[in-house]
Amino acid sequence: MRLGGWIFLGASWFVILALTAYSMYRVLRTKEQDESAP
Amino acid sequence: MARERWGSRLGIIMAVAGSAIGLGNFLRFPVQAAQNGGGAFMIPYFVALLLVGLPLMWIEWTIGRFGGGFGHSTAPGMFHTLWNKNRFIKYFGVIGIFGPIVIFIYYVYVESWLLGYGYFAVTGRYNSCTTQESMKAFLQGYQGVASNQYFSGLGTAYVFFLLTFAVNLLVLYAGIRRGIELVCKYGLPVLFVLGIVLMVHVFSLGTPDPAAPENNIVNGLGYLWNPKWSALLSAKTWLAAAGQIFFTLSVGIGVILTYASYLTPKDDVALSGLTAAAWNELAEVIVGGSVIIPAAFAFFGAAGTTEIARGGAFNLGFVTMPLVLQQMPWGHLMGFAWFVLLFIAGVTSSISLAQPAIAFLEDEFDLSRREATAIFGLNTFVLCHAAIFFLGSGVVDELDFWGGTFCLVLFATVETVLFAWVFGMENAWTELHVGSDITIPRIYRFIIKYVTPAFLLLILGFWLVQEGVPVFLMEKVAPENTRYVLGTRIMLVALFANLAALVWFAWRRRRAKEAAA
Repeated sequence: MRLGGWIFLGASWFVILALTAYSMYRVLRTKEQDESAP
Repeated sequence: MARERWGSRLGIIMAVAGSAIGLGNFLRFPVQAAQNGGGAFMIPYFVALLLVGLPLMWIEWTIGRFGGGFGHSTAPGMFHTLWNKNRFIKYFGVIGIFGPIVIFIYYVYVESWLLGYGYFAVTGRYNSCTTQESMKAFLQGYQGVASNQYFSGLGTAYVFFLLTFAVNLLVLYAGIRRGIELVCKYGLPVLFVLGIVLMVHVFSLGTPDPAAPENNIVNGLGYLWNPKWSALLSAKTWLAAAGQIFFTLSVGIGVILTYASYLTPKDDVALSGLTAAAWNELAEVIVGGSVIIPAAFAFFGAAGTTEIARGGAFNLGFVTMPLVLQQMPWGHLMGFAWFVLLFIAGVTSSISLAQPAIAFLEDEFDLSRREATAIFGLNTFVLCHAAIFFLGSGVVDELDFWGGTFCLVLFATVETVLFAWVFGMENAWTELHVGSDITIPRIYRFIIKYVTPAFLLLILGFWLVQEGVPVFLMEKVAPENTRYVLGTRIMLVALFANLAALVWFAWRRRRAKEAAA
């Protein structure tokens, strides 16, 4: 695989993993806040 | 009757992600990427995700929750609520029930092949097939397209179809919380675990044939990911990327509208929509992009993989993958994992396709879930037989064209215009942010109002010229299949007319009720 291939693979994985992790973090954090609310 | 609700926020996110994650994530995406610029394909792909995919996700989640607040779970009622001065818009919403039914008719049958192949993988039934030709003959025998040494008729396929159909109905009968939510909440993690197991296994293949050292996994990844910059200058690449984003996210079908209608009016839609889309992308780009093409390359090389990819997604899934998997260490188990993964992806999608019709019967005719599921089950069971018995006569292609392509693009275009222009961008933006856990960048006001509809009209126009007109005119239909294709069209017109009549009847009933009150 050429360098360009590694860059596209790495960048795509990074963007998608970051997006999934960020959105799930926000979802789970909101859930915790809702549960701890009086 | 009290409306059903989702049991948890994660439940609806997993249900929408489950609806979006289907066979296309694992079979269609890698082929599209490999044929349209490799790594460079990801540029138009992400552009389309930002300009079409995410906006449509948010639009459908918002319309769905808004319509659910008025007691509607399907597009006819929702469109009527958005534009109540127009008497005809609810009939346009019929597409949001019709399209999913049409896809369900053939999808559930294809899904049953996965169950069958999962069983064959464990029992070693297809192990005697060691070439592309023999594996193709095995598939054709199973489908009943040809009678050969592997299968003498449709019996085996029919048993697996009955099992699959029963599984779908059982989940639907159990309802939103105890059926769909439960299956998706447990099914998707299993799907991802199986996907990761397969990925690790494929990555550890190295060079399966030492006599052909160039056929290895790293070169296989290169085959898929090395950028071919010239492809970016072709309109075909941009259309392919937009089409892939569009079809992968389950937008334009009416399914997300129905799922979101079971939210409460204060539930977030912005973050939930984004999260469901992210899970879909994870399954598509990371798992889908790492299994089938690299594995095929390692065993068949560049020329072989190009030829295989040209044969289409079904060929790749049911002919190439079984061949590849049986040559791997623990081939039986890997084959089983592959087909179970696809079966889970299939079930979580097919139940979502069934839900709009069931919800329509429940909402507009006050039927119980049991009655609505029984009516849906009986009708679709009969209709599925067209796909089962006339598979080789072009019926499934015809159903896929109308339900899986034409209706999707048209429905998405109209709902976007309805949301941004008729309901109004000011109302739309406010409604989208009710209960929202994130603030969507303001640029999306402009994107949703101008860019997304323009992009969709462009896709619709190009697609009509390139594919639509030849299919309308049956240019590619073999003469011996003409009557089957015409018969399918008559069946579809009758189905649409019946659904439109039901909408007319439901509204008359509603008016009579209101007058009596």
